[in-house]
Amino acid sequence: MNDLRFALRQLRKSPGFTFLAVLTLAVGIGMNTAIFSLIQDLFLRGLPFSEPERVVRIYGESKERDLKQMPSSVPKFWHYRDGQTVFSSIAADWGNGFIITGLGDPIQLLGGNVTANYFELLGIHPILGRNFLPEEESKGDVVMVTESFWRKRFNSDPMILGRSITLNGVPTTIIGVLPNLPISWFGRDSEIFANKPFEPPSLTKERLMRGVSFMRVTARLKPGISSLQAQAAMPALFQSYKEQHPETADNTWSPYLVSAAEDVTGDLRPAFVTLLAAVSAVLLIACSNVANLLLVRFTGRKREIALRMALGAERRGIVRLFVFESTLVSVIAGVIGLCLALWTVSVVPKLAGQNIPLEGEVKLQLPVLIFTLGLSLITGLLMGLYPAWQSSRADLVDGLKEGGRGTSGSRGQHRFRRGLVAGQVGLSVVLLAGAAMLVSSFVRLSRQEAGFRSERVWTGGIGLPPAGYPDPASRARFAERLQTELRTAPGVEASAIADAVPLSGNSSRAPYARADGNPVPVNERQLGLTRSVSPGYFRALGIPLLAGRDFTEQDKLDSPLVVILSNSTAKKLFPNENPIGRQILFGTENGNGLPAEVIGVVGDVRSQQLAKANDVEFYRPWPQRSFSFCNVLVRSATKPEATLGIVRLALNKIDNGLPILQPNTLDAIVTQSLGQERLTMTLLGVFAGIALLLAVVGIYGAVAYTVEQRTGEIGVRMALGAQTQDVLRLVVRQGMNPVILGLIIGLAGTFAVGRLLTAQLYQISPYNPLLLGATAIVLVLAALLACLIPARRAAHVDPIQALRTE
Amino acid sequence: MNNGSDPLIRLNSVTKVFLTDEVETHALSGIHLDIRPGEYVSIAGPSGCGKTTLLSILGLLDTPSDGSYSLKGHEVANLSFADRARIRNREIGFIFQSFNLIGDLSVFENVELPLTYRGMGASERKSFVTGALERVGMAHRAKHLPSQLSGGQQQRVAVARALAGRPAILLADEPTGNLDSRNGEAVMQLLKELHQNGATICMVTHDERFAQHADRTVHLFDGRVVEDRIAA
Repeated sequence: MNDLRFALRQLRKSPGFTFLAVLTLAVGIGMNTAIFSLIQDLFLRGLPFSEPERVVRIYGESKERDLKQMPSSVPKFWHYRDGQTVFSSIAADWGNGFIITGLGDPIQLLGGNVTANYFELLGIHPILGRNFLPEEESKGDVVMVTESFWRKRFNSDPMILGRSITLNGVPTTIIGVLPNLPISWFGRDSEIFANKPFEPPSLTKERLMRGVSFMRVTARLKPGISSLQAQAAMPALFQSYKEQHPETADNTWSPYLVSAAEDVTGDLRPAFVTLLAAVSAVLLIACSNVANLLLVRFTGRKREIALRMALGAERRGIVRLFVFESTLVSVIAGVIGLCLALWTVSVVPKLAGQNIPLEGEVKLQLPVLIFTLGLSLITGLLMGLYPAWQSSRADLVDGLKEGGRGTSGSRGQHRFRRGLVAGQVGLSVVLLAGAAMLVSSFVRLSRQEAGFRSERVWTGGIGLPPAGYPDPASRARFAERLQTELRTAPGVEASAIADAVPLSGNSSRAPYARADGNPVPVNERQLGLTRSVSPGYFRALGIPLLAGRDFTEQDKLDSPLVVILSNSTAKKLFPNENPIGRQILFGTENGNGLPAEVIGVVGDVRSQQLAKANDVEFYRPWPQRSFSFCNVLVRSATKPEATLGIVRLALNKIDNGLPILQPNTLDAIVTQSLGQERLTMTLLGVFAGIALLLAVVGIYGAVAYTVEQRTGEIGVRMALGAQTQDVLRLVVRQGMNPVILGLIIGLAGTFAVGRLLTAQLYQISPYNPLLLGATAIVLVLAALLACLIPARRAAHVDPIQALRTE
Repeated sequence: MNNGSDPLIRLNSVTKVFLTDEVETHALSGIHLDIRPGEYVSIAGPSGCGKTTLLSILGLLDTPSDGSYSLKGHEVANLSFADRARIRNREIGFIFQSFNLIGDLSVFENVELPLTYRGMGASERKSFVTGALERVGMAHRAKHLPSQLSGGQQQRVAVARALAGRPAILLADEPTGNLDSRNGEAVMQLLKELHQNGATICMVTHDERFAQHADRTVHLFDGRVVEDRIAA
């Protein structure tokens, strides 16, 4: 207790030191806590399911055709469900949008259709009502809604159970209210879950049974069965599926399991490993700065140490006293760091956009608190130990002399300080180089031609409820009428309908093959990205028509099937041939797909990711391949809100019961597609900036301290005729020595960790000499600046004063 | 020893005033002092009489508040910082009470230091340094660090450093202050030998015994010259 009181008094006595040390460490601890908090939320906390480690997803893959994470078909799900022995339960779902009418203006909400056991499997229990019954998988129209829906739309009415709402034009009974669901698993704003998971609209029974794959399969491992054991059981199950369903399109995709946790965060891991490494480096730099300060501070208390030892203190008592002081600093810094972390974590979701499945609210969780406390204690201990041990080796006789003999410390301490500076610089180089690479990569990615013009294009989604639009003919009529209305609407330069908007994350793929020769069986065909679009789509998005013709109103449902190819597709499928007029088989109909004639070739579009060109992309006319959901695209000079109004007006003339979902500009969609890259780049940039700042402060501190200790020597040198530039050169040279050493270590370190970044870089090598050179220059300039300030002070030393002090 | 030649140093009505907290302190008042080549002058006086201030002005470490100072016939009282540093390096050799050797440099490097500031070539520096160390009898310790030498030896090295650049005058500030009497006497003997070989020396001391080694003693009191006595 006495030691604690004394340590507190010492810190109060030197507020400058305390402020600088606490601030430096608070930044380091705060950044680490923030990243740990995000890692805790995303990776460690686990999904809020019952025993989430037993929950797995079952996907299909075909390594030969580069297909991964393939969903399941209905027959495959049934086969797995009935034949498996390793899961205590197996369920399926697929995402769906629901138009709700009868509760004011029609609105479209997200959710899905699930098997009866879906929520039970996850361990999610309704807060009101009940789960689906097995018989409701094929009978009745019932729905479960989330708590937020219940509170918002029904004002928390306890009598909601049994109430009917109109979903997609069908009266549906509410049977249960679910707690709000984790967005990492269910996606954002999922509020409605309906039954009948095996009856998706716009899919005939025949296509369904041919293996059209759209279901996500989730399973719960039996107690005592590991994921590996379950995986080992899947090949036999899959083999029997192949034998019993030789005609299905998905019988060549072998099954594999992914844990629930990995399924929701797999893509984020490399970015967070990078960020964790970066914040650890920031903390190390902060620690070495404070360790340096402590070494100076403790060495300056030689007299006090000598006195304590003369009065009988043991060496370990002295070490304990000083370690106490350093730990106190780090614990205070931990508290401030925690506040800093809470603020940082609250900003991250805004930066990340839709790209990271973070729950909106910031909560202080116990593991984060324990992490911060632990980090603070370890930091304090590590920082204080060496300076305390060194200082406790004071020469008693020398220390007790009045004034002592200065506080410059031993050669070992000098080496330690120089080592700290070199280490700080090394770590800063690695971080700066990493940040520079990510920034450069991001700039290249942002400038990557997407193949379409996104400016002034507005887009919004429209769900076409099966009740009103039950078949392709009705959906084709809807699209044609909407386009006719929009064509004459004021301010509209071009408009189109498409099943998915480029870079929005939505897409669909279908098996394809050249119709000539001997096409391989459907289940061995490649899956090609296929987009259903209306006439005018290419014009609206500025995609050039390279050969043949665009779709017209004459490409109707009952017209001969046609297709337009992207340029890459044409080159891949018809190398050195004219593709126009050739036939391609699509889909699974008739067991061999239906032939469509190639009528045109358009420019390539990066519709999936800006970073990656599509291998193939097909465009089919909307009437010949339509869905119960479409997107409207409008190129217009008017503001987005005005365009929304124009589309709303046009839509009302056709069907005033259809809401417009997620209105947005195409520019914003393109920007959002880079959200994760932007987040990683921004965070790493901030961390690198902090690292550079801390390193500069560290270099400044070390050089300033040296100058202070060597004032007498500098005075002697000046008395002997040293000019200003001689003193400047001396101080800068000595200050820059560890910087150059750190620079070499840092550049070597950058080469070593380059591999970590490679996967996150676009069109730039982690060993890019220009960037590494620029990083080195920035660091050298910053270090020079840090040296020059104390060097200038040294050059202005009054030699008389300096000699008198000496 | 006034040999009638032109003075090496001439101070005329030199005054030094320090301003602290709006209080004027007159450290030197109207000092007239000529030092001719080959003279060995000691400046004596009680503590606080202005000896060190006078030596600082003579050594161009400080500038007078008023009056003129000519060194080898050139006015140096109002030179720039850089010019004063250059003249200090070439014309003045300092010997300090606390030796002021640089702990991280060897004996050789310490003596070499003023020559490096002069921009002298390496081979020439080596011959100057070796010559200076031989004159003070420390050539055999050239590779040692100051911490490996006794106080007397350190002061000899400091004298060698002052001599190395072959300055016009040696300024010694209490050169025996940090030495025991035996080592103090040895250093005084060394200065005497240097003087006998033609060196001009100006030494500040408060010790009457050592002041007697000089052939002229200037007594200061309250910043004024109260006696300027030539030894018989």
